[in-house]
Amino acid sequence: MSQSKIVAAVEIGTSKTVVLVGEIVNGRSLSVIGMGQSSSSGVKKGEILDFKAASNSTHAAIMGAEKSAGVNIDAVYLAQTGRHLEGFNNKGSVTVSAADGHVSGSDIERAQREGKSKELPQDRVYIHHIKNEVLLDGRKVDEPYHMKGERLDIGYWSIHGDERRVRDHIHVINGFGLPVEDMIVSSIASGSMVVGDEEKKAGALVLDIGCGATDWVLYQDGYIARTGVVAVGGDHLTNDLALGLRVNRRNADKLKLQCGKAILEKDDLTEKVWMVGDHMIGDRHIPKKAMVQIIEARLDELFRIVKKQIGPRCTAQNLPGGIILTGGTSQIEGICELAAKVFGAEARLGVNPRIVSEDLRGPEFSTVLGLLHYALTGQHAEEFNTGAHERGILRKVVKLIAG
Amino acid sequence: MDISLKTTDGEIGETGVGDGLRVKIIGVGGAGTNTVDRLQFGEQGQARLAAINTDAQALASSPIPEKLMIGRSVTRGLSTGGEAELGRKAAENDVSSILNMVSGMDLVFILVGLGGGTGSGAAPVVARQARDQGALVVAFATLPFSLEGGRRLEIAEAALGELRLVCDAVIPLPNDLLLQQAEENATVLDAFTQADDWIGRGVGSICAMLFQTGLINVDFATLKKAFCVQGGKTLFGLGRGEGGDFVEKALQDLALCPLLHTPEYARKADRLLVNIIGGTDLGIGHVNRVMAAVTERFGSKADTVLGAVIDDNLQSTVEICVIGTTDVGGGRYVRQPVKSYAAKPKPPESPQGRPIDKAQGGPAAPKLDLEETSAPDNRESDYEPLPELDSVRPHDGAQGRSTETRMPQVHQSKLKKTEANDGTDQEEFLFVSEEEQRGYFDKTDRNLFDGEDLDVPTYLRRGIRVTL
Repeated sequence: MSQSKIVAAVEIGTSKTVVLVGEIVNGRSLSVIGMGQSSSSGVKKGEILDFKAASNSTHAAIMGAEKSAGVNIDAVYLAQTGRHLEGFNNKGSVTVSAADGHVSGSDIERAQREGKSKELPQDRVYIHHIKNEVLLDGRKVDEPYHMKGERLDIGYWSIHGDERRVRDHIHVINGFGLPVEDMIVSSIASGSMVVGDEEKKAGALVLDIGCGATDWVLYQDGYIARTGVVAVGGDHLTNDLALGLRVNRRNADKLKLQCGKAILEKDDLTEKVWMVGDHMIGDRHIPKKAMVQIIEARLDELFRIVKKQIGPRCTAQNLPGGIILTGGTSQIEGICELAAKVFGAEARLGVNPRIVSEDLRGPEFSTVLGLLHYALTGQHAEEFNTGAHERGILRKVVKLIAG
Repeated sequence: MDISLKTTDGEIGETGVGDGLRVKIIGVGGAGTNTVDRLQFGEQGQARLAAINTDAQALASSPIPEKLMIGRSVTRGLSTGGEAELGRKAAENDVSSILNMVSGMDLVFILVGLGGGTGSGAAPVVARQARDQGALVVAFATLPFSLEGGRRLEIAEAALGELRLVCDAVIPLPNDLLLQQAEENATVLDAFTQADDWIGRGVGSICAMLFQTGLINVDFATLKKAFCVQGGKTLFGLGRGEGGDFVEKALQDLALCPLLHTPEYARKADRLLVNIIGGTDLGIGHVNRVMAAVTERFGSKADTVLGAVIDDNLQSTVEICVIGTTDVGGGRYVRQPVKSYAAKPKPPESPQGRPIDKAQGGPAAPKLDLEETSAPDNRESDYEPLPELDSVRPHDGAQGRSTETRMPQVHQSKLKKTEANDGTDQEEFLFVSEEEQRGYFDKTDRNLFDGEDLDVPTYLRRGIRVTL
């Protein structure tokens, strides 16, 4: 008798809200059995501005997803983004207590507790503690349990957010009568989809450029070293184009999608595009050069901001895995060349796993797919088992099949 | 650029519009004073020029007739060194001289470059004095280049917010736009000339409407009505067309005017002031076309004030100037007559021997306006202070800024009805007004990184010139 649990991955995005329904069978395999989408309203730069509007569009998407799956959802995994998210490195350090110098489960627990114990200001709330570097007497180890040493350090990248905003997000889901099982920041969710283990080990940077915000995650030595959010996305490109080309938002958006380009090439200098394209009165020529200039300036700045947020660690040597771009805005032509230029490292577009059905391969689905991935593996896979049960034996098989 | 503010006698004089209307153009701070210098407005009209600065040396070199040095005790005749607080103190110390300068004026233009000390600090003080004296205050404020750094931008934005609270209309001109408009190899001076040109055409247009002969004249009361709500966003655009189908060209030029495409501006206006300056060949048909196009683009036909002026030098040329005010972002700072409790020195004497008593009859009572539009100068009608006006007047302190009153809403914004009606967080709404000027990203948190607002297009902040 198999036991199945129906979970939903919900991303309340700036342009659209996407809900994927997955069925977890026996806690081992997952199939995508339903999907719902709605265009968002009341969300800008990844943050909810109009609770009611955002609720309505999210609920519509959930309803659509339940209908397409034909089952009721048990729990929701929710993505979180927005510039209110911040993170810091913290370390839990303990002296190994056992007389024989072997690290015990209680040592690890103490170190973990200390690493996560930093108090936050009143209105902030922790979203994740992501374990990264584990040092035993200053030497990097993967699993310290039963190893010999004197001093154990466990490092954490702790992500925290504005309590009200986080709560707003959860309330939207609760308003539909569903519990939120877990909240995962978008960057980590996307990252888990588009980066392979090898690249994580080598060092890679994932940029999920969405409509309202850009989420990034930096992998080093196989773990998540840093994450961040820049509240700049495709909406900004549209806005810049609307202002710079003096066209309305709708036309600017259309121009961006049709002939947006991130890097200026020789042919673009003289080429002209039609504003509307219907050759009716009021239509006019727009030099492509102007368009590309505006987009290039914005994306160039965006990449530079990310580079600055990461700091001195952001060098080509640290990123042999390269820059991986995903998210809706990553579809702009030439964006990889621009990213490669700014970061001085190789850049490519992220690809969602092949096992996923065709219509979910688009870069804008990386985040929701990542959420489902975490629903299956448990976001706390980052945590150690402290000797209670063996790791690896219950390794869950990720099997994403579209329904 | 030479704008003559000639009063033509004849029909205007008879209706008493241009008559005795007193206009002053005041440059505040270094940049503002320079602009007034460079504009070389003619002195013939009622528009008088004045300059206010803390820097004695800069002031001495200016050819402007009326000069006021403020803050002698604060800065000892030197500049404020970029400290807006010093600028404010300087102005507050010399508030009586400022009062003298603005008293008895009907219309005061304040030209200021925000971001520095004197302009940012003193301009709101000057504006408040002028407004308290009953003048209609229109400010043209240039904002610093993004590359000048975050601090200047912060100062400028704070000052812009303050100005919005005390002026009838504030027209911000981001310097970043100058780079967009300037020729490929323009010098810095050319760029600033462009800014002056914009300001000049704006000021000139308003004055021309009042003073020059035209197809359609606008009287001062109508003008005042167009600016009856303070603190809102404004819209300011210029267009010019020559030869051939000059009206169509001017409309196209207007549509491409970079001033209309900044985050600082409103897209639609609740009240619109459209002025058309053309040659003798400007027919009413042309005017009609312009009006149709402009009102369709910017909104409300009902609340549009139209002026059409004939200038003999402009054959087969037309210039369109659009100034719009909105209730958006400003809430309802309805123009108030001078408070009776304010220590208001009687204006020395009015040249026409007419009592300039603005305590009554200002457009603060819009109800009156509606009834009395036939009376071209309702300052003359000697209204008793309206009892119902008194009852809604705030009973709080003598602070100039506390004049925000909840008037019975006459001009409700057609743009954001829901917000205007939303009484619950009205207070909050008022206080964040200065931050809500960023177009599409209105009402979102400021997106600051290294002192730059990321919601403002990058190409503008970096000064990348986009040619269309």
